[in-house]
Amino acid sequence: MTRADFSDDILMRFADGELDAETSAEIERAMETDDELVSRVGLFIETRQAAKAAMQSLLDEPLPAELEAAVGRMVAEKTSAQSAPSASVLAFPRRAANDRRASRWLVAAASLAAVFAGLGGYWLGGRGEPPSGGALPLAAVSSPALAEALATVASGEERQLLASNQRFRAIATFRDSAQALCREFELDSADRSTVVSVACRAGSEWRVTFAVAAPGGSGGYAPASSTETLDAYLTAIDAGPPLEAGEEAKALADLREVRQ
Amino acid sequence: MSDAVKEVGERLIAFLPNLRRFAISLCRTRDIADDLVQAACERALASAERFEPGTRFDAWMFRILRNLWIDQVRRQKTAGVQDDISERHDIAGASGDREAEARLTLKTVADAIDHLPDEQREVLLLVCVEELSYREAADVLDVPIGTVMSRLARARKSLAEATGITGATGRSQVMKGVNE
Repeated sequence: MTRADFSDDILMRFADGELDAETSAEIERAMETDDELVSRVGLFIETRQAAKAAMQSLLDEPLPAELEAAVGRMVAEKTSAQSAPSASVLAFPRRAANDRRASRWLVAAASLAAVFAGLGGYWLGGRGEPPSGGALPLAAVSSPALAEALATVASGEERQLLASNQRFRAIATFRDSAQALCREFELDSADRSTVVSVACRAGSEWRVTFAVAAPGGSGGYAPASSTETLDAYLTAIDAGPPLEAGEEAKALADLREVRQ
Repeated sequence: MSDAVKEVGERLIAFLPNLRRFAISLCRTRDIADDLVQAACERALASAERFEPGTRFDAWMFRILRNLWIDQVRRQKTAGVQDDISERHDIAGASGDREAEARLTLKTVADAIDHLPDEQREVLLLVCVEELSYREAADVLDVPIGTVMSRLARARKSLAEATGITGATGRSQVMKGVNE
């Protein structure tokens, strides 16, 4: 059958080498006698080749020296640090103090203290007692307004929290390694300081598992140093990729349903 | 354990030009792209144990980089400091001559790619330029394969229209392309 109607989808898969051998052979046979089919396939092949050729110059560009040096340094540091086996993934909050990256967490810890002080027990219900080992206190979210915002505001959106002068900004939603739903968010206070934070579901409540305060005057968004700390934290808890908008909406809706 | 970091580190350095190219096509400006590449490398080294040997390193890196980029875009969007990235077109370089020429003739391919919607441009880059399979591209982008295909088809259609590609190169050329 040389006059089979091949859809554009099939032809594109053919051009991209994504088609099974049998159908591919069928198309090749049909192309021997069908010029229009040849040019339809040709469009996919030519656009692929043209795109590749056009982007080649970016590959040939010399790498910026700073970038190459920075990454080289990073790799060298990491590979030499590996001799200490504990330097792999940091668990939060408890980890030996002799870890070479512990200093980073001390910064986070200091900022965390500032956060809790600054919010004046805002998040600390009656359950803010530090876990054993004298590590960081993980607080349950006791503010109904914040809990509500966590359960409703889509990532990319922001909202003024009821009965407070704080602005809540949802950044992303993801699942941790235990599949608990987590949200990364930022809170701006009236003094222009910003808290970068992560809260995860624990049973029927949100628990703040991470928070860093960015100093005031940063113009309403978190400076790079605090997001670096956050990145390290997300890596440590094995955070999954951010949920797509649809998935997030569904996860949050499920949450609200359970709560009723 | 140290093997994983060592391996990721070695591959990372060799892969920098490709990673940077993908970053530039995402953010369309070199400064931001270079920062993004650096952040992605840091993230990759920190989670080197999670790279599964035998899977594609490039796809893994593209995914890390793209996720960082999405987070960054969200931050900027919500913080109101967006300094309109959509107005920047850095892929084709800033050649005044080329701009003048483009008004008279068809767009260059690089310009046309530059002007594609983000979601089409990234899938075109991953499949046609970086040669990922549809499945691999779908994993990088966190979308179903069908979405990869429809975006890819639309991207190629616009690209062909903008640059005058007609597909009429003749049979021998096409067969050569298929068999490459």
